[in-house]
Amino acid sequence: MTETNIIEMTGVEKRFGTFTAVSDLSLSLREGEFFSLLGPSGCGKTTALRMIAGFQEPTDGRVTIDGQDMQGIAANKRPTNMVFQSYAIFPHLDVGDNVAYGLRNRGLKKAEIENRVSEALEMVELGGLQRRRANELSGGQRQRVALARALVMRPKVLLLDEPLSALDKKLREQMQFEMRRLQRNLGITFVMVTHDQYEAMTMSDRIGVMFDGKLVQVDSPETLYAKPCNREVASFIGEMNFLPAQVSARQENSLTVTTTCFENLKIETNPNVRQGYGDILVGIRPEQIEIAAKQPDGYDATFRGDVVNVAFYGENVHYHVRVEGLDRPVSASVPNYFHMVDFREGDSVWLGVQSASVIDLGENEPS
Amino acid sequence: MNLRSEGAKGVALSAPATVYVGFLVAAPLLILVAYSMWTQTYVDIDRTPTLANYREAFTDPLVRHLMIRSILIAAAVTVVTVALAYPIAYFIAIRAQKKTLWLLLITIPFWSSYLLRVFAWKLILGFNGVLNSALLALGLIDEPLTFLLYNEFAVVLTLAHAWAPFAILPIFVSIQKIDPSLLEAATDLGSSRIESFLRVTLPLTLPGIIAACLVIFIPTVGDYVTPSLVGGSDGKMIANLIQVQFGAANNWPLGATLSLLAMLSVGFVAIVFVLSANGFGRRIR
Repeated sequence: MTETNIIEMTGVEKRFGTFTAVSDLSLSLREGEFFSLLGPSGCGKTTALRMIAGFQEPTDGRVTIDGQDMQGIAANKRPTNMVFQSYAIFPHLDVGDNVAYGLRNRGLKKAEIENRVSEALEMVELGGLQRRRANELSGGQRQRVALARALVMRPKVLLLDEPLSALDKKLREQMQFEMRRLQRNLGITFVMVTHDQYEAMTMSDRIGVMFDGKLVQVDSPETLYAKPCNREVASFIGEMNFLPAQVSARQENSLTVTTTCFENLKIETNPNVRQGYGDILVGIRPEQIEIAAKQPDGYDATFRGDVVNVAFYGENVHYHVRVEGLDRPVSASVPNYFHMVDFREGDSVWLGVQSASVIDLGENEPS
Repeated sequence: MNLRSEGAKGVALSAPATVYVGFLVAAPLLILVAYSMWTQTYVDIDRTPTLANYREAFTDPLVRHLMIRSILIAAAVTVVTVALAYPIAYFIAIRAQKKTLWLLLITIPFWSSYLLRVFAWKLILGFNGVLNSALLALGLIDEPLTFLLYNEFAVVLTLAHAWAPFAILPIFVSIQKIDPSLLEAATDLGSSRIESFLRVTLPLTLPGIIAACLVIFIPTVGDYVTPSLVGGSDGKMIANLIQVQFGAANNWPLGATLSLLAMLSVGFVAIVFVLSANGFGRRIR
């Protein structure tokens, strides 16, 4: 991947009256990457996207696209195109005319418009549906038309505002793969806004996590999952068990911690968190906790608990295990593997973790 | 009747409307058709069917003249009203903060009677009217303007004012219904404001424009109060002639014939208009 930045946002801020929707956002997007802005609704991610598109002017800060300052450049003059959450398919036009809409603005020749429209429709697997009316389309087809309509413009950056939220689960998963494939083949930079962590993780090269108008962490899905920068990110992406821990020793790249569940366990420091001097919070992913009837061998730490709740998910089973001295039960998720593990409510069990699974989440600020 | 079957339910539900339409629309229409084929003798009516009235209506140049003038005046009223109503409706739907207040303000003319409003225009446009007095007082003219009242212009102006809310409301509704993201999509795809208006807003509000046109055009062709009060001899319309047949001239059969012909002409013009407007809308891409 080349290291040119297609989008640079520097100190971008957007205020609506006294409300600050986006504050001090700085972000560099690489050419050809699939980037997602992830966050709960109202965190400012859509506002950020709309500032790139030109539908909103930043109150402060700068946006450049492909080296060009976008200050004062209207949305219709920017080298970006957008797939809207509602798809915004023109209801008075058929599929072909919807896709051709932007090309007609450019005054291209009729034959070229037709070629590019049919090429774009082929690309989203809607070949030959040019004359289909907008109101005869299914949700998935509308989404594909919206994609084709934007991609036919050959934008430098494609912006996607919650593009899959209106589709049902099966279709959504299928479109995730297709959009990923399209993005790879075309090499166009995609910037997607979503509140769905799985969607962001399956599709993106990098994810920016936003809370309350602030960009909190930008990393690859794997790093976000393994080394979240704070408790908020850790609980927003995937599930996480949180344990307050006392630090008994600090080494260059490791900490020795003690929690209710284990004593003096040496764990890796997390480069993404701010290192302090007080007690810290550690996190353990539910799928990285072993659950067994007898004390399991080969784990760095083992502790006892009682099963209080069992949730069967099909591919795996979630156990909530109450551990003496903890307010919340520990959640452990086990693959449903020939029913090797089968506990009931009230069973007394052993839990085991490796020290590599214990994530340093930095200073334990009261939340 | 077994109200459980779908068909019976449908019949039962539509019965009041059927009776209403039957007695108040279909029956009077049939009576009108019957009258148009009868003949007025001095005091009586000769009920032998004849097409003599139609022959008379088609050959009389006055009828043709008034019919064409009525349609042209109504068309002018429609064009003026809709052209003025569109920006107002657009403003209320897109820009205005207090939509309800604006809509209320627009209905204010209706708080006084139609007749009073026509008289008001008479007072404004008259020889010694408000407008002439004001212009004289300001020294802009030396003698009162006479082209203001008692002509087609006065008729068009008065009717356009009277019908404005009927044009604003359907257009307002059709603009209000447009999903704002469609306009953003148009902008995103490179359209300027004017291009988005012409290629997205206009075609999507076409149904509202067509509705407004019909709502104004159809009743305006048959209006007789306004032309008789402010139209003078140049502004008389077909309805004034029909009124005379049922009143002073006492020729109900001819009046019925003229009514039916007016109805058919209006229907024909309206259908041609709707078809061509829709055809125009489909050509916008």
